[in-house]
Amino acid sequence: MELEVLSLFLQQGIASGLVTGSIYALLALAIVIVFRTTDVANFAEGEVYMASAYLAFFLIAIVSMPFWIAVPATVFAVLIGASLFQRVVLTQVAAAKGVSVNLVIATLGLSYVLKGIVRATGFGDTPRSFPSVMGEGSVTLGSASLTYLDLTILGAALAIMAVFFWMFNYTKIGRAMRAVGMNRRASQLVGINLGHVQMLVWGLSGAISAVAAILIAPKLLMTADMGVVVTLAFAAAIIGGFTSLPGAVVGGFIIGITENLVGLFVSSRAINVAPFVVIMLVLIFMPQGLFGGKVRVRKV
Amino acid sequence: MSAILAIEDVTVRFGGLTAVNKFSMAVQKGAIHALIGPNGAGKSTVFNCISRIYQPSEGRITLNGEDISKLKSHSMAGRGVARSFQNLELFNELTVLENVMLGAYSRCDTTFLQRLTPRPKQTLEQAEEILESTGLKNYRNTKASGLDFGHQKLLEVARALAISPQLLLLDEPAAGLRSREIERLDELLTSLNKTKGITILLVEHVMQLVMSISDRISVLSFGEKIAEGTPTEVKNHPRVIEAYLGTKEAGRG
Repeated sequence: MELEVLSLFLQQGIASGLVTGSIYALLALAIVIVFRTTDVANFAEGEVYMASAYLAFFLIAIVSMPFWIAVPATVFAVLIGASLFQRVVLTQVAAAKGVSVNLVIATLGLSYVLKGIVRATGFGDTPRSFPSVMGEGSVTLGSASLTYLDLTILGAALAIMAVFFWMFNYTKIGRAMRAVGMNRRASQLVGINLGHVQMLVWGLSGAISAVAAILIAPKLLMTADMGVVVTLAFAAAIIGGFTSLPGAVVGGFIIGITENLVGLFVSSRAINVAPFVVIMLVLIFMPQGLFGGKVRVRKV
Repeated sequence: MSAILAIEDVTVRFGGLTAVNKFSMAVQKGAIHALIGPNGAGKSTVFNCISRIYQPSEGRITLNGEDISKLKSHSMAGRGVARSFQNLELFNELTVLENVMLGAYSRCDTTFLQRLTPRPKQTLEQAEEILESTGLKNYRNTKASGLDFGHQKLLEVARALAISPQLLLLDEPAAGLRSREIERLDELLTSLNKTKGITILLVEHVMQLVMSISDRISVLSFGEKIAEGTPTEVKNHPRVIEAYLGTKEAGRG
């Protein structure tokens, strides 16, 4: 391969990788905040994302709602829906004092329900394309080229992350969320309402998933199975250590860039395998993930 | 003096096991009150009922006359009830200072919009003051997990103080401390009680501390109160001696 082509591929791979990676990063964030504060690996994350895309599609293409109303309406609806799921279903399952696997099963239940609902509407039968409000056209950065839509996705995702990190680190409610992630009993002791925080975190994770869905949907053909992409978000979360928020973001970008570079340099058929090779490498050399901290010895 | 905390006929059952049986106790405002008894007597269970982690099967607990038996755990901090745990419950990934500042959580702003705004300066000042008085100042920026055991126990007390408590519940604050550290704890608790007027209820096995600082002592054995009174009264109470040392007959066997 010539040097020029090599450099072009490298730049394009990284640029496109940042775009898809930002979506993985958002979804990984949604998974990690829920896991940290409620100890639940949310296996319905992919379907929350999928259902959000369909809800936005329904509002825009079927109800003909203006884009600028449909987007906040979708995000808000998913926020409420996810909060209610935590409040109504998960607290009941937890109160039944079963094994913690019950909570995971409950999220699997939610994923089937959401898929079922989307299929029942009939919109999920054939692949649909999501209307894009971005103009056609692209920008060249170095030798890489990104469409306006790509830039919007990357920019919006980064902005959401920035707001999110600010909230998590500098607001009272953010501190409460972090405290709950560290020690639940101590959190209640200092006066944090555990129930409210956990509900709010589920709501936020839903809102983030909805934003990710709306951003990426115009680039995809929507189907009821589009939620499988969340496997890559789980991969991103694992690479980042599964409890670290910066880790989730970095993990998302690593997965996105790896996929694109492998697609360009190796073969597009190798794309699906690449993220899992990365997971294996990370887990072999850094079993705690990149941001998971040191292996801690627990007293028994 | 009036009772700040009144426990009336509290019974706690775990399945078939009765951990605490018809226990009553009143803690007077401004007092240092100790709850002692052999291992497994139900002392921590009583504590967990007061701080609303356990729900009593029967009975009533009132704080300044208000029935708190139905309240949630997180609403106790706002009512000025702070506690420490026997098996440390710290925010291990945070520094000493951050732990103490988080202790003040319930006292900052209450409206939703205010919750989004950063913490006021005075919380920091108050936290520094607490670190000074508890002798943790030199460890300000150490992570809680990096402290030795004695200082971790002290940090639990410091964080509890950040709540600005009227009632401080301490679950075995002296357990595992060296004698020099126990002396310092003695001084600290006495000064908190005398200068800040904080009522203290403590569960403790270290008799040196209990006898030195307590105004009043209640003794639990197998979930029942067997004695109550001043340190001297309790020390000489026949049932207390029996509970701690066993009866003469048993001792001979």
